[in-house]
Amino acid sequence: MTNFRTFTELVLERTEARSAADAFIFLPDDARGSVPQHLTFAGLDQEARRIASWLQARGAANRQVLLLHPAGLDFIKAFTACLYAGAVAVPGPLPTEQGQHFSRVSGILRDAEACAVLTDSAHAPEISAWLAAEGFTDVPCLATDDPAQGAADAWHAPALTPDSRAFLQYTSGSTSDPKGVVVSHRNLLANEAAIQRSIGTSAQTVCGGWLPFYHDMGLIGHILHPLYLGIPAVLMAPFTFLKRPVRWLKMVGDYGVTTGGGPNFAYDLCVRRVTDAQLETLDLSTWTTACNGAEPVRAETVRAFTERFAPAGFRPEAFFPCYGMAETTLLVSGIPRTAGPRVLDVDAAALERGELADPRADRPTRSLVSSGIVRDFEVRVVDPETRTERPAGHVGEIWLKGDSVASGYWKRPQTNKEIFDAAIRDAAGAGDDDGGWLRTGDMGVLQDGQLYVTGRLKELVILAGRNLYPQDVERAVQSVDPAFGSGAGAVFAVETDREHLVAIQEVRPGSVATDLRTLASGVQSFISKEFSIPAGNILLVRPGTVRRTTSGKIQRTLMRKLFLAGGITALHEVLEPAVRELVASADAGAATGDQPAALSPESVV
Amino acid sequence: MPVPTTGHTTESLTTWLAERIALYLKRQPADIDPDVPLAEYGLDSVAALSLCGDIEDDFDVVMEPTVAWDYPTVHALAGHLLAELAADTAQGGGA
Repeated sequence: MTNFRTFTELVLERTEARSAADAFIFLPDDARGSVPQHLTFAGLDQEARRIASWLQARGAANRQVLLLHPAGLDFIKAFTACLYAGAVAVPGPLPTEQGQHFSRVSGILRDAEACAVLTDSAHAPEISAWLAAEGFTDVPCLATDDPAQGAADAWHAPALTPDSRAFLQYTSGSTSDPKGVVVSHRNLLANEAAIQRSIGTSAQTVCGGWLPFYHDMGLIGHILHPLYLGIPAVLMAPFTFLKRPVRWLKMVGDYGVTTGGGPNFAYDLCVRRVTDAQLETLDLSTWTTACNGAEPVRAETVRAFTERFAPAGFRPEAFFPCYGMAETTLLVSGIPRTAGPRVLDVDAAALERGELADPRADRPTRSLVSSGIVRDFEVRVVDPETRTERPAGHVGEIWLKGDSVASGYWKRPQTNKEIFDAAIRDAAGAGDDDGGWLRTGDMGVLQDGQLYVTGRLKELVILAGRNLYPQDVERAVQSVDPAFGSGAGAVFAVETDREHLVAIQEVRPGSVATDLRTLASGVQSFISKEFSIPAGNILLVRPGTVRRTTSGKIQRTLMRKLFLAGGITALHEVLEPAVRELVASADAGAATGDQPAALSPESVV
Repeated sequence: MPVPTTGHTTESLTTWLAERIALYLKRQPADIDPDVPLAEYGLDSVAALSLCGDIEDDFDVVMEPTVAWDYPTVHALAGHLLAELAADTAQGGGA
């Protein structure tokens, strides 16, 4: 696998060698019956050449090309075409009326300096209209499923080196400030090799899943990993799974899927939604690697899923808790195969102080699920304040180095110096090391060679596997009514058996035109429309309630702590029953099972 | 497979929807006011899509994934579903 200099060379070899075999099978949403769509390696090669020739004719080599396709084979053809053309693919979420508005992709298009947009013929008119409205008159839009565009014979091999950019991954940064991780061919080949070593995939592997195609886990894990191996993948759209979770599990049995996964919530959803009658029809015995990553892995989910689906042949050791992020291409660590998930019970109070200690009788305990062993990276756990290394068994920020680590965000030299080139300070005060460390923003601890992720330094909310930036939601809340105009807001997440969004917003009672209940309800409707997430917990508070640092920064970590301790007095509040219970129990001084607030610079100001 | 009949009424669909939604929200059906936006109860996009799948399975109609956003209350949803079922029956039933 190491004899390829670029991922493009590898795909060209795979498509020739595997020719008539199925590369991808896409299962359309079939409420009324529809047939699986097959794409062979040779078919993928032909289509990629045709679309690549169109890109090459427009001078797209070494330039960014935005991909806005629905989940389906057209996306895979277009992405491969970018590899063939030596163009830099920028996969983006297809804007729909369901909340993913054009504002996010406008930000991406502008930041990435894309020279063309690829989509399918069903969405081309809408996207062309958007480009015109935004003033991108020199950015052409191509419907890649139109066979009249481009010609396979006109394609020529691109000039690429291992350091050429393969694609930009825009999963970081807020809507107003999107950041694209620059993934090179070297990074991609290194991480695919790391995934193979970690999972133990082979020519007998069959990948399958439903993750968004533009998301790092879906793209690297479910689309590019099978291409890397020259093996088939079976895919469906996220909403097909969300509508009927049993479809994912049925896919495993129907196609003998061995490898694939999703965030923790997906396994929860299966436990909750698959009926006894459906369970009887399932065969999960081929599933050797059920990846669980992209959001915190919960011991309770692992236990419940394993128990529920054991009758269908699911084996406990198939669960594969893993850790990774777009900044490292994808995978950082995973548990050793055949080992099964490892759960460590620790004293909750000690963990809050940043140390691992054995659980004590009658004291709150937290169960940490191991994210496994870091093999293809150097890893350090570092005090984010002093930048000195923390000893084993102590919590700190996870810092990484290795061939899978991207060079940085596109056009962000300042941020990259800080995030991708951090230096560790010698504890004895002898100065800094050579730097080159990636600061992950995640807090964790190494114990017996295993990595446990314990929290987040960055103020990121992860709901149903989606990354949300609090400032985006706060801005949206404040746009709902003039009565919020000058008031501050704080958005954060709290945990019960899942994450819940809480929004605190200051309001001037004197300037409310309607009433507080109507205002709160307006906020809820707007948030769920705008972000497709529930805003079940809204607190409207008096001006001055939301704490800031002396420099005016919102203290979200502190607000979260106050909220959980029952220390926020609202003029009007709406709380989900589970969250109300959580606050009440904390009030009574018996909080358990809650994520500790990550040690944030804000919490010590 | 359930076949759409003309037996559905706004009331029967309202009851069915309130029960199903209460299940996702871990509340009692009686707590779901049919005129209050579902977002106010904390219905998320995952539950909204689940509901969409349930409607398709139980009534044998095809729903847009965005249905819970386009018809944001139980009453609005029931009205839309009734219209879809009527249109379906007029076309000679389901698949």
